[in-house]
Amino acid sequence: MIANWLNEPSLTAAILATFLPLGAFLLIMVLTRKHPRLSAGLSIAAISISLISAIFLLARHWHLDTPLEYTGRWLVSGDVAVPFGYLLDHTSLLMLSVVAVISFLVQIYSLGYMAGDAGFSRYYAFMSLFAWAMMNMTLSPTMLQLYIFWELVGLASYLLIGFWYEKFSATQAGKKAFVMTRFGDVAFFLGLLLVLVHLGNLNILEMNAPGVTARMSDTYITISALLIFGGIIGKSAQFPLLTWLPDAMEGPTPVSALLHSATMVAAGVYLFGRLFPFFSHSAGAMGIFLIIGTISMLLASTMAMVTRDIKQVWAYSTISQLGFMIMGMAAGSYYAGMFHLTTHAGFKALLFLCAGVFIHSFESNDMFDISRQGGRRLKTPTICTIIAAAALAGLPPFSGFFSKEVILGALADLNNPVWLVAGLLGAFLTAYYTFRLIFIILFPRESGTESQSDHGHQHGGYWVMGWPLIILAAVTVIMGFYRGALEAFFQGQQGIPATPVGHHAWMPFAAIASALGGVVLAWLEFGRQGADQVGFVEKIAPLNNLFAQRWYIDRFYRRFLDIFIYGVVSNLFNQNDKKVIDGGIDGLGKGTVATGRFVSILHQGMVQFRLLTIFVVLVLLGLYFFF
Amino acid sequence: MIVPFNHVLALAGLLFLMGIFCVVVRRSLIMILLGVEVMLNAAAIILVGASLLWHNLDGQAIVLFVFAIAAAEVSVGLAFIVWAYRRTGSVDPENYNILK
Repeated sequence: MIANWLNEPSLTAAILATFLPLGAFLLIMVLTRKHPRLSAGLSIAAISISLISAIFLLARHWHLDTPLEYTGRWLVSGDVAVPFGYLLDHTSLLMLSVVAVISFLVQIYSLGYMAGDAGFSRYYAFMSLFAWAMMNMTLSPTMLQLYIFWELVGLASYLLIGFWYEKFSATQAGKKAFVMTRFGDVAFFLGLLLVLVHLGNLNILEMNAPGVTARMSDTYITISALLIFGGIIGKSAQFPLLTWLPDAMEGPTPVSALLHSATMVAAGVYLFGRLFPFFSHSAGAMGIFLIIGTISMLLASTMAMVTRDIKQVWAYSTISQLGFMIMGMAAGSYYAGMFHLTTHAGFKALLFLCAGVFIHSFESNDMFDISRQGGRRLKTPTICTIIAAAALAGLPPFSGFFSKEVILGALADLNNPVWLVAGLLGAFLTAYYTFRLIFIILFPRESGTESQSDHGHQHGGYWVMGWPLIILAAVTVIMGFYRGALEAFFQGQQGIPATPVGHHAWMPFAAIASALGGVVLAWLEFGRQGADQVGFVEKIAPLNNLFAQRWYIDRFYRRFLDIFIYGVVSNLFNQNDKKVIDGGIDGLGKGTVATGRFVSILHQGMVQFRLLTIFVVLVLLGLYFFF
Repeated sequence: MIVPFNHVLALAGLLFLMGIFCVVVRRSLIMILLGVEVMLNAAAIILVGASLLWHNLDGQAIVLFVFAIAAAEVSVGLAFIVWAYRRTGSVDPENYNILK
């Protein structure tokens, strides 16, 4: 691999794309921490080259027939060789490009957003670390490599959530995200071990090959699929591990845009797509995935209906959209999930970046506060937010409409109409909470306090933050029209069972109707003249509490932690520590001292003690040898 | 053999233990030497008893040698003790600890 990698343009590009950010990370951490501009330059240069390489790879392999796999041996120990390499196929190339594009734009944007921050260099170092881990993860040819980078992505996420570590809530949120995703990852790892035991290696192509059913029984496939799905639940913040994501909004907003909406949390869905043929061997597991996706989607939507924090709304919507993707894939349509993943990455990053501009300008996360201070006068972000929100709500002609319609189509193909109804309800709720926010920002109620002087542009670097918004908005607008091209692109993906998505002529109308229903309801409650801007949920106090408290999931975890973990488990371990381990070590120490005291008596130079010792030893030796 | 061999063994063991006790406990070099002699004689008793048990006179012959060696040992030992007493003015083994 080393010898001839220069002769393979694809391999060279893959190595460049994935390893330059690591170089940038190391350089920044070691050399240029004192020079913020240089650090940012390094990081952006690295990600630019990565982006170019990614686009080059995507363009070069657009009509790829068979997946390209390059592996070299990384670790050799006896008979065990751990490979390291790259797997280029449609799934990984598309994801690589999405990650590269979003990372690039967010890093540019951060030039403005993070300007003047004391940890500017550190920020860019972590961003590079994240880019490196994420890109390597997408191109992994084996599950082990994928798992390693999966964890590295988690690490980068932890570092970036807790970026402002002097804030207590930020460190808490980082810890929470790390621990909660780790729960899922334990299951993921167990699943991998199960696969390893049966297949003997973790090669993704081998796991996806049709022959896998002959080598693993159905039960084991189901169990390992469910365990691996545990990792997806953790990373993509699905039910019941969904509460870390809203808290992760403590990090800088560009981080939220990059990690917690567009790329990192999508890694879970990406993994689903990666192992889609493997998962689809087990109908039972797919059923459970469908249920989990649906529950997460609906729960998160209801939570988003009552929060006042602009970033939290988008965080909940992320969970909900990820639930949508998982529903689409679990319904059997690989293409639906990946398409929505792609479009979602664009418009969700856009939403967060716009929210970042608002927060940066008004120094408030509260949407009513932003509205009161004249949020709508920031023209570019407002327009971009509306475009992205329309895409999120699934209104034509924006990208979200097309991808959501494909998912709904896949749901309609299922025998049970419950899923389709849930999907349409989800679409309705999405449109409602999205446009609730839009109308609140567009139509401030107490416009008297809207002062001309203290808004907007004096923070500087505004244009740097503006360009990524415009690019992403353009992508959001036009992406939907490339639906056919993308569908053709995914046809080339190996090993995906061809499930023709049934064409339902009424589907676009149902999708538009549910979305429009949500928008109209939001208009009646928040938009029209004289509306009191109080949602119907907020009028019912218990429901409002339920939603605002995130269905008491956090409370439940807290109680569980207090009663079971702290009360029982850690108590037991504590006792064990104190009594058994401490006692044992202390006993050893005391015993040694006592023995020393005793032995020292023999060394006082007394002839008779020595004689006594000789006798005792001889007697003991006699006993030992004769009995 | 009139006396059972077990009794001979018990007597010898008892004597040997007494010898040890004497050697370890008494605060006089002369008594220590005496203890050593007692132990030596305990061993000799076993040899005599064994030679009677197996009708083999080798054991008794060895005992004769043991007597000779014991006599020599006592004379040398006593000479040492006298010399040590002259050097230190005491026969208490507790004082012989300059090697400590």
